[in-house]
Amino acid sequence: MIEALADRVYYLAVFLLLGVGTYMLIGNANLVKKVIGMNIFQTGIFLFFITAAYIDGASPPLLSAPGPYVSPLPHVLILTAIVVGVSLTAVALGLIVRIYSEYGTLDEDAIAKVIADE
Amino acid sequence: MSDLPALVVAAPIVGSIAVLLAGVLRARTGWPLAVVAALVQVGGAVTLASRAFGEEPVRYVVGGFRAPFGIELVVDGLSATMVVLVAVVALGVLGYARVAGPRSNSFYAVYLLLVAGLTGMSVTGDVFNMYVFLEITGLAAYALVASGEGGRSALAALKYLIVGTVGASLFLLGIGYAYVATGTLNMADLSTQLAAVGYNSPLVQAAFGLLVAGLFVKVAVFPVHTWQPAAYAGAPDSVSALISALVSTVAAYALIRIVFTVFTVEFLLATPFARTVLVAGAVVSIVVGSALAVTQTEIKRMLAYSSVSQFGLVVGAIAVANGTALTGAAIHLVGHAVMKGGLFLTSGLVANATGVRTIDGYEGLAERLPVGAGAFSVLALGMVGVPPAVGFVGKWYIALGAVEAETWPLAVVILLSTLLTLAYFVRILERMYFREPAEASAAVETTEQRAAAGLVTDGTGTDAGLGPVSMGMRATVLVAAVLAVALGLAVFEYGALLQPTIERLLA
Amino acid sequence: MTEIASIRPVAAVLVSAVAIVPILASRGRPTLREGWTVLAAVTKLGIVASMVPGVLAGDVYVTDFGAFVPGIRFALRADPLGILFGLLASLLWLVTSFYSIGYMRGLNEHAQTRYFAAFAGSLAAAVGVAFASNLVVLFVFYELLTVATYPLVAHDETDEARAAGRKYLTYTFGGGVAALAGSVLVFWLTGTTAFTPGGIADLATADPLFARATFALLITGFGVKAALMPVHSWLPDAMVAPTPVSGLLHAVAVVKSGVFGIARVVLDVFGPGLVGDLGMGAVLGALAALTLTVASVIALRQDNLKRRLAYSTVSQLSYIVLGLAVLNPMSLAGGLLHIPAHAFMKLTLFFCAGAVHVETHTDDISNMAGIGDRMPLTMGAFGVAALGMAGIPLVAGFVSKYYLLVGTVTAGDLAFTGALLLSGILNIAYFWPVVYTAFFETPDESDPKPVVENVLGGRFGDPEAATDGGHDPDEGHDSDHGETDDHGFAPDHEGQGVQDEREASEHIDPEHGPDERAEWEHRAPNGDESTWFMLGPILFAAAGSVVLGVVPDTAVFLRVVRLIVAGVTGVSV
Repeated sequence: MIEALADRVYYLAVFLLLGVGTYMLIGNANLVKKVIGMNIFQTGIFLFFITAAYIDGASPPLLSAPGPYVSPLPHVLILTAIVVGVSLTAVALGLIVRIYSEYGTLDEDAIAKVIADE
Repeated sequence: MSDLPALVVAAPIVGSIAVLLAGVLRARTGWPLAVVAALVQVGGAVTLASRAFGEEPVRYVVGGFRAPFGIELVVDGLSATMVVLVAVVALGVLGYARVAGPRSNSFYAVYLLLVAGLTGMSVTGDVFNMYVFLEITGLAAYALVASGEGGRSALAALKYLIVGTVGASLFLLGIGYAYVATGTLNMADLSTQLAAVGYNSPLVQAAFGLLVAGLFVKVAVFPVHTWQPAAYAGAPDSVSALISALVSTVAAYALIRIVFTVFTVEFLLATPFARTVLVAGAVVSIVVGSALAVTQTEIKRMLAYSSVSQFGLVVGAIAVANGTALTGAAIHLVGHAVMKGGLFLTSGLVANATGVRTIDGYEGLAERLPVGAGAFSVLALGMVGVPPAVGFVGKWYIALGAVEAETWPLAVVILLSTLLTLAYFVRILERMYFREPAEASAAVETTEQRAAAGLVTDGTGTDAGLGPVSMGMRATVLVAAVLAVALGLAVFEYGALLQPTIERLLA
Repeated sequence: MTEIASIRPVAAVLVSAVAIVPILASRGRPTLREGWTVLAAVTKLGIVASMVPGVLAGDVYVTDFGAFVPGIRFALRADPLGILFGLLASLLWLVTSFYSIGYMRGLNEHAQTRYFAAFAGSLAAAVGVAFASNLVVLFVFYELLTVATYPLVAHDETDEARAAGRKYLTYTFGGGVAALAGSVLVFWLTGTTAFTPGGIADLATADPLFARATFALLITGFGVKAALMPVHSWLPDAMVAPTPVSGLLHAVAVVKSGVFGIARVVLDVFGPGLVGDLGMGAVLGALAALTLTVASVIALRQDNLKRRLAYSTVSQLSYIVLGLAVLNPMSLAGGLLHIPAHAFMKLTLFFCAGAVHVETHTDDISNMAGIGDRMPLTMGAFGVAALGMAGIPLVAGFVSKYYLLVGTVTAGDLAFTGALLLSGILNIAYFWPVVYTAFFETPDESDPKPVVENVLGGRFGDPEAATDGGHDPDEGHDSDHGETDDHGFAPDHEGQGVQDEREASEHIDPEHGPDERAEWEHRAPNGDESTWFMLGPILFAAAGSVVLGVVPDTAVFLRVVRLIVAGVTGVSV
């Protein structure tokens, strides 16, 4: 049991990150923290792909290195996904700046109150 | 072999960059350039469609890496439908946006980017590529929603962004599981490899669950629809029309792709639970979406909840998983796009002409704005499923499919959805035609109306809700109303054209 | 039987649909607008009538637009059953058009353009129902008919009218859902929905459970518009609509489209044989018998004339359904013949009620004492039609009821015979008081009306006793404001007839009250009582009822009915 877990400790970390991210997304009223949670959630997924590509004792996928190689495809995919994630974060932060200048707060509940009062 | 599948994706991106660059040189050049790009897109899409409706789909290998190693674009009848729909709706909404919509060049650049993302999702034959286009679509959509004035649209966009990203991330996680199980990302290859791994494998089932959950968010199936009402209500009218007509539609297309091309019908048959999830999502969406729509006071929020309910029908058709129902799903996707887009444009037209955005404000609208009221009625009745409008034909196919598959609970709900849809639209029809205009009756309602108008435009004045009303806006709305009826009559030929595609999907 | 490809069926449908455009366009010029209506009505009648000789000779006119959805063609066929309904609707539309002109102008109604446009649309849909070649096309027009008539029901724009409109839409779209479900099931079971005289063959071999469910769904769907109990209650409420609407649509076109749907289901989808084998005929018959008896009893207690007529309609429609349900050739003929017979008579009655409303603003029977003096021709026509309703010979109702009675006796369903006879007596009981009060009573001297005035089942104890220290029972009525509009059904609304006016004038405003004389003004029976726009249609419809009753064989309807019954059962009646 312990060994089985130890073999999959990376996956454990992945799901821990996913859990933390989800909790922050739902539980936090602060918009910036929500975005941070979203980032953590995505990072978990990125690590999941990287972990899946790993083969015990293999070398990086370079022609100069001896085989066997770890799978290169997930790395490429995740590179793309990271770019997407960065752009998402940028857009989100841009929106938050606008929201802050509009309502003067980053707290979700406070904003809801402002809207209700309008 | 032609490069057309790649071109229809590339053309809007080129257009988008051109618009952005032109904006540096001269302001307000966005609209004409965007129209040119959209016209090119329509031409390309129609040409592509004319080839795709054959026995074999059009295939294109990106960058010379042959499938399953490289990325492949596959255009069959269903993809071609989506590509044409995206192009035509984008062009139509542009006709409306010239006077009404946001006018900055950056708006039109993002607009074309959205078109590119949607087209990409429609033509790709690779799941990871689909994820990328899903995110491009998402990014563009978030930015467009935020292009409205004031904090409300920014807040709606942020909510949309967070929920949408979670959905897309789940989709990505699903891809990860599928990749771990099979080592491939090409859809056609995945379907054979998944079968080889075995449909009972937890990895395969988890992959299905995550992919479907991710797409449920994008389609806005209850209970993960929460982003939709805020986003539709907060966005400028032209944007809500575009997004409501296309984004969820293409996401539903992606769901069909994933369920049938990647996982195939055999998977559904081997995994009754998967089917149950789809049926449950459909039934709950139809019923709860309609119920929530009835309780709304703001017209655009009501229309948004109506979308939740209508996409329940499409998900139901996917769950039924036979040829008739899938044909119905395709027809309903197109029909819903035309009708819902038209309804949002009409609500925008009404808001610009009279400053009214609440359901109560629609009282006596028929006298103040006969064109708007007439178009709204036709589109609403089409949505209810009054024949011969396209809404009826889609429902007929889906209901018939459900009966053929003998999934009785679903069949009952699908048929009853007519009444549920009627429940929220009849309130408006009655107010438009059989009540006195609000101004004439009580001063209270007028102030309410102004408050509502002020809320949207962020309290910049009582008349701020009024905007320009151009011939283009009226024409677009009328064209949508006419299309809603005309498509219903032309749908048989379309169904026949789609037959080879559907057979391949179900093979 | 030969099928002739022709554009006449579709032309008959489209002519009034197309007329909507010029009607809307000439909104500012009433005479021109009404001209379009009449032109469309004449054209429509001409087109439909031109097909009658061919149909009587055994031909069927078909317009085929090709496939609508796979396996189902969008085609219009003018077969005998279709011609029966199409001819009736288009003939009576012409009559009603003239009447509408008199009625709407007489009351100076609002939104007349919308009214005439919606009316034309309704007729297009009704004729579409008549000529539909299969269940799906029938459903298409059935739904369109609902949409087109909704503006007419809600025409008044009062709370009551809007509520009636909502109820109407809910009931009929609900029925539409059932009809659609039934159509889907038929298509699933047989692969077709096309109407075939004698029934679709494959249904006979289908699973009886599904076949019964299908029949039940279809009958429920069409039964809503046919006002079968317990889904009838939209009809009395819809009486809030202007009287020509109540007359043509809620006694002829709309409700008959429901009955017509049932006729199609019984005759051309299932076929009488299969309906009998499934045991559904008896169920449907029992439902119809119950409806026609209960509705007659309810009609006894209605004081508002239009509501009484509405319940009478509910009852009479079930005569037709009962005739179809008994499945005997004679009863089928009786039921089908009752479609035109009831149409002519009920139209007369509604026209009379409308004329009385326009001329004297009287809606309640209790205020009509002596009104025969004021409107002799109108009430005379009313009397004739009422006699026909009750089945007195020489008027249309007798012929169809005769066939119905013979049919039920031949089939051995004596319980149904009993129900028919009982309802016939009740017919007299609720129509005779109207005629009696009009001609043989005066406002000052009228008999008490215990059935109408008293609580159902009689009073228990003294109604005046107030155990809580007492306030006047009349005080508790402050909740009914807003119900006292002119078309309202509130029992205590003012301004009706000489009695109410006199009472009102005593304590409201003596100057605007009528003179003290509680007598109807006497008018000679020479057309002085109203305009000929209204009297002409009334007399035409009344004459039609008599012609159908005196020389049924010369009138075309009976010949068409015989053709239908022979086509379905192979027996000539």
